[in-house]
Amino acid sequence: MEKIISIKDLNYTYPDAKHPAINNLSLDIYKNEWVSIVGKNGSGKSTLTKLIDGLIEAESGTIAIDGQIINEDNIWEARTKIGIVFQNPDHQFVGATVEDDVAFGLENQGIPRDKMVTEVDEALKLVKMSDFKKRDPQSLSGGQKQRVAIAGVLATKPQIIIMDESTSMLDPDGRRTVLNLVQQLRQEQDLTIISITHDIEETELSQRIVVINDGKIVQDGKPVEIYDLGSNLRKFGLEEPFTNKLISTLGDKLKLPEGYLNEEELKQQLWKLHSIM
Amino acid sequence: MEITFDHVTHSYNPNSPTANLGLDDVSFTIKDKLFTAIVGQTGSGKSTLVRHINALLKPTSGNIKVGERVITSETNNKNLKPLRKQVGMVFQFPENQLFEDTVEKDIMFGPMNFGASEEEARESAHKMIKMVGLDETYLTQSPFDLSGGQMRRVAIAGVLASDPETIILDEPTAGLDPVGRKEIMELFKGLQEEGKTIILITHNMDDVADYADEMAVIHRGKLITEGLPKEVFNNQDLLKEDLLTLPKSAAFAKELSKKGFQFDKLPITIDELGIEIKQQLNGD
Repeated sequence: MEKIISIKDLNYTYPDAKHPAINNLSLDIYKNEWVSIVGKNGSGKSTLTKLIDGLIEAESGTIAIDGQIINEDNIWEARTKIGIVFQNPDHQFVGATVEDDVAFGLENQGIPRDKMVTEVDEALKLVKMSDFKKRDPQSLSGGQKQRVAIAGVLATKPQIIIMDESTSMLDPDGRRTVLNLVQQLRQEQDLTIISITHDIEETELSQRIVVINDGKIVQDGKPVEIYDLGSNLRKFGLEEPFTNKLISTLGDKLKLPEGYLNEEELKQQLWKLHSIM
Repeated sequence: MEITFDHVTHSYNPNSPTANLGLDDVSFTIKDKLFTAIVGQTGSGKSTLVRHINALLKPTSGNIKVGERVITSETNNKNLKPLRKQVGMVFQFPENQLFEDTVEKDIMFGPMNFGASEEEARESAHKMIKMVGLDETYLTQSPFDLSGGQMRRVAIAGVLASDPETIILDEPTAGLDPVGRKEIMELFKGLQEEGKTIILITHNMDDVADYADEMAVIHRGKLITEGLPKEVFNNQDLLKEDLLTLPKSAAFAKELSKKGFQFDKLPITIDELGIEIKQQLNGD
């Protein structure tokens, strides 16, 4: 598998802070992967995102994006490969209409107008928001706003999309729509997705979960492996998955298989137990 | 303090072509010393509703009774201090409201604004910082050096420091990690047990199921229903029309009921669900 991001021995301490925010961290992310980066408030996960996007500069260590180690001279080129969708959709809008807004990122890259119009239309089509292109972004629901924000990111044709808690302010329906859309785009557009999240369910769609605590990677594995940590997840600010909590209230009397079960699997097991009564 | 909405309508930009009803003829009572959750989609009018309780917004018609006080369209902006001392409001992203150079001064601002002496306010700051799960060493720090979760706690401490009888929370845990969220929710539940009235706006139906005594559902400015969470979450009409999403446990029970399992009423918490499953599987 081809590495799209390769981080080696990274260190960063905020001015006047007593402890490093990122502490000798190394991490490889592969092309077309969906990696969830999780950890409690203050664990360093947002700092890591800022370092990857070159918004702040590491004290030591390197970050390679698409094979190139980023430095002051090539950071702008590296940044064109990354799109970020932020937490609060209301903080990301600049345009008076949805299409203006999506065009904004392209204007910044100096794309000619006729080409821009096609690309904005394409991006809105990908997020299924074409019908809304003349609307004021402020009149949209939270989920729709985040879809427009994703279109703005897609229009610039990035290889990597970072979702920085982008679904945390959405209601459950909005969240589901956005996550399914991201999954579909990852597959169709060969994108790499990094999602920074607290939401254990959001991580179910990813292929890998990286747990960060005190600026270090403390766990790195497939979702099922991470969910098997059970109540230890709480040490990292995370909630146990719903099915784990339900299974622990059921006690030992019921014969359920060992290890993590997702909702579908647990439902099937309970139906089986019900049918043999 | 009991709070009663009596035919409250709120129109944004009345008499203009863009007039729209933020609230449309809302009547209901929020009971004293209970934990009431207000739910509804983004833009449904939940925040508009609660902003009437401390007269940040005034009704276009109808009135709101907050204890002895009555708020109408005529209510004057003078003399609102006693009301605002009684009704504390924690907004979404309350950390945006921090402004002093130390945490202590920030927490002291509220009580002093409501007439407490410096000494009383300081005493209150020391008590509240511990109540929100931080220690006293934070008091001398700048609020802007804290993490998002810590800033949130400081902002909540600032509201609690004025000792309001009623506390309104507008999605107070958005963006907090799950462990932090649980701590903050337990804090509010604890305050209720000490005799405060809690009003919580939230999208998180599990929090409604776990903490609220009563709930109200708002849709397009109208009060659709109110009552015990267990009853409201079992209201088939609301679910059919997608006006409400279920807590995880109720959604899972609904799935289970497609084969074999039967629930008279959908359980809404994990503990209730666990008990029902055990009973149905081995008669425990």
